[in-house]
Amino acid sequence: MSDPATAPALLEVRDLVKHFPVRGGILNRVVSRVHAVNGVTFDVRKGEILGVVGESGCGKSTLGKTVIRLLEPTDGQIRYEGKPLHELGHRDMMPFRRKMQIIFQDPYSSLNPRLTVRKMLREGIRFHGSVPEAEIDDYIVELIRQVGLRKDAADRFPHEFSGGQRQRIGIARALALKPEFIVADEPVSALDVSIQAQILNLLLDLKENLDLTILFISHDLKVIEHFCDRVLVMYLGHIVEELSCDALHEEAVHPYTKALLGANPINDPDDRRELEVLEGDVPSPFDPPPGCPFAGRCPLVEDRCRQEMPPLVDRKTAGHRVACWAVEE
Amino acid sequence: MVARFFRSRGARKFMANRLAVAAFLVIAGYLLVAGLVWFTGIITLEETLGRIGASYQPGLWGAQRSGKRIEDATFWFEVAQNAADRGDFETARGGVAFYERRLTGELDADEIKARVARGIALAKEVLVVEGFDESASVLPKVDEIDAIVVELFPHPEGWDAFMYGARHVLGTDRQGRSISFRAIYSIKVAVQVGVVTALFAVLFGSFVGAAAAFFGGWIDHAVIWLYSTFSSIPYLVLLSVLVYMFNDTSVDKTLIPLYVAFGLTFWVGPCRVIRGETLKIKELEYIQAATAIGFSRTYILIKHVIPNTAHLMFINASLLFIGAIKGEVILSFLGLGVKSGPSWGIMISQSKAEVVSGFFWQIGTATVLMFVLVLAFNILSDALQDAFDPKHV
Ligand SMILES: Nc1ncnc2c1ncn2[C@@H]1O[C@H](COP(=O)(O)OP(=O)(O)OP(=O)(O)O)[C@@H](O)[C@H]1O
Ligand code: SF4
Ligand SMILES: [Mg+2]
Repeated sequence: MSDPATAPALLEVRDLVKHFPVRGGILNRVVSRVHAVNGVTFDVRKGEILGVVGESGCGKSTLGKTVIRLLEPTDGQIRYEGKPLHELGHRDMMPFRRKMQIIFQDPYSSLNPRLTVRKMLREGIRFHGSVPEAEIDDYIVELIRQVGLRKDAADRFPHEFSGGQRQRIGIARALALKPEFIVADEPVSALDVSIQAQILNLLLDLKENLDLTILFISHDLKVIEHFCDRVLVMYLGHIVEELSCDALHEEAVHPYTKALLGANPINDPDDRRELEVLEGDVPSPFDPPPGCPFAGRCPLVEDRCRQEMPPLVDRKTAGHRVACWAVEE
Repeated sequence: MVARFFRSRGARKFMANRLAVAAFLVIAGYLLVAGLVWFTGIITLEETLGRIGASYQPGLWGAQRSGKRIEDATFWFEVAQNAADRGDFETARGGVAFYERRLTGELDADEIKARVARGIALAKEVLVVEGFDESASVLPKVDEIDAIVVELFPHPEGWDAFMYGARHVLGTDRQGRSISFRAIYSIKVAVQVGVVTALFAVLFGSFVGAAAAFFGGWIDHAVIWLYSTFSSIPYLVLLSVLVYMFNDTSVDKTLIPLYVAFGLTFWVGPCRVIRGETLKIKELEYIQAATAIGFSRTYILIKHVIPNTAHLMFINASLLFIGAIKGEVILSFLGLGVKSGPSWGIMISQSKAEVVSGFFWQIGTATVLMFVLVLAFNILSDALQDAFDPKHV
């Protein structure tokens, strides 16, 4: 396997923007827009696990779903192995649908309650013809074994499983089409801590065995640090820092990343307390102010921060980018 | 599939509710009767329209005044006279077989005529000379009249006897028609209206509602506009218009105007509910998972969205079924609904005059049958809601 640090980019995202129209009033007009993702640029390299971290509502899920075209981008480019995904129609997307899959945050709403595991898996396999018809049943048994479920799970309905088991089913569904790239949208944050580790280990094993590339989304920097090769720190639809996970504590320079590091650990997924070192409110994503999105809570804030948006610039260390005026070159 | 259904959480919860199971059995009974009437013709429309005896006979063979007994006998004499006048005993027997009691084969036409004449003379004596006075002198004569009737029309046996009893068990209305048969035939009419309306309204409404919510955009706007418009038309008004439209056409005497009126107005309920549910479902992650696999929108709608609204379809169907039956009864009561043949509404409407004179058999039968059905359905739809609505689980 190639070294992720130097591997070629599998997915290139350029200036990606996703706005949600907010309708209201008696005429149901668009009254404002939620700026969920606000012009982000990054690469996902072949064979790496790229983390995305940020507080609830900062646009992590939106980003993950937009790069695989579950949501239509408002603006920007997405290239997969050089192919511009953002230009493809439903039919032309098909080969990429097979190659890119997603694991969802909520193991309860991500499985159709009316389908048995077998039907759920077979549906997609058949659709893409990724396995010859005669081998589908064996393949499903193998998949179920691979994600660590018992054989008899195949003919059960989702409500017969626990949260962790459901998440394994969700992983099996994502793997069924033999994808290359997987978006894991907070796959463990709805689970008990003891089960989180099992699922993360499963993901790691699968990644090694199946040669996957993973975009791993989490609000927990601790999990990201252990699990990922690199991390994108998001704040209010922007990437504020991008760096390698190896030297996270030493190299992190953005005030928000530092705050996140200080505020670790947030082990309890329900614990959405404000980060302790941070004061002030997250600005509303409906009507973002000009300048740095973090200005309202930043301990290092200067006048310039409120007027001008800091660009995401490369630092001396390769692969380290940061968007902050207070960080000297 | 069926076995799975019975293993499912909802089904088990439903089965644990005894009242609901009882209601379900009651409804199954009604459906069975409706099916029997529909498929085997065990009770025909003609039978509900023909006389079977004196008017206003109380049910359960209640005590009869001699006047009633004579009236009843006179009815049978008329039947015999008509048969004898035609002189053709085979046809006569066929003709009166309708009344289940068969003309005795041993008597010839003259004999029958003589007995009818004697019976009528006796009846006149009692009625005209003696009046309705239930004195000692009247009763023997009435018994004698009864005896003549039994001679002319021996009691039927076997199945015929059962049907004869069933026909008379709840008495007769003003025109001497069987109340029990009319009420039972009305079950078929009601179930027919209920099933057709509920099926159409739920299938059409659900599909339209689900598609509107799922595809959104102008389709959704069009559907909302359509159902707002239709829900603002009361079906009574719509039906009055339809009744006048179809007046004096071949459609007039059928249930079609009812179907059209109910069909046009009733789909709105399920459409709204299913649209709301679909708005919720389409945001769920398993729909996104299906999108990520690459399925088409239509496939996702049909395979992943609509099946997950099935519990609401069931509940809506049971509500609409009852709505349609109540609507049919009300409209028939007003003379806008069923035009030919019986209906609970027509029976209740006809019993207006009877109730004043203390005759409750007709209105009682119609309302009890309707009440039990509606009650059973209300219990059922509550239980369905409890058992299958995820919010109640
Ligand atoms: N379908 C939508 N319509 C309108 N607004 C949306 C939609 N989806 C997300 N948003 C908004 O976009 C912003 C980003 O949402 P997103 O789900 O991407 O956040 P997140 O970082 O994944 O948060 P969490 O940790 O809670 O999952 C939020 O303000 C959210 O309210
Ligand atoms: S740009 Fe200014 S406000 Fe934004 S993080 Fe840097 S110092 Fe803080
Ligand atoms: Mg999210």
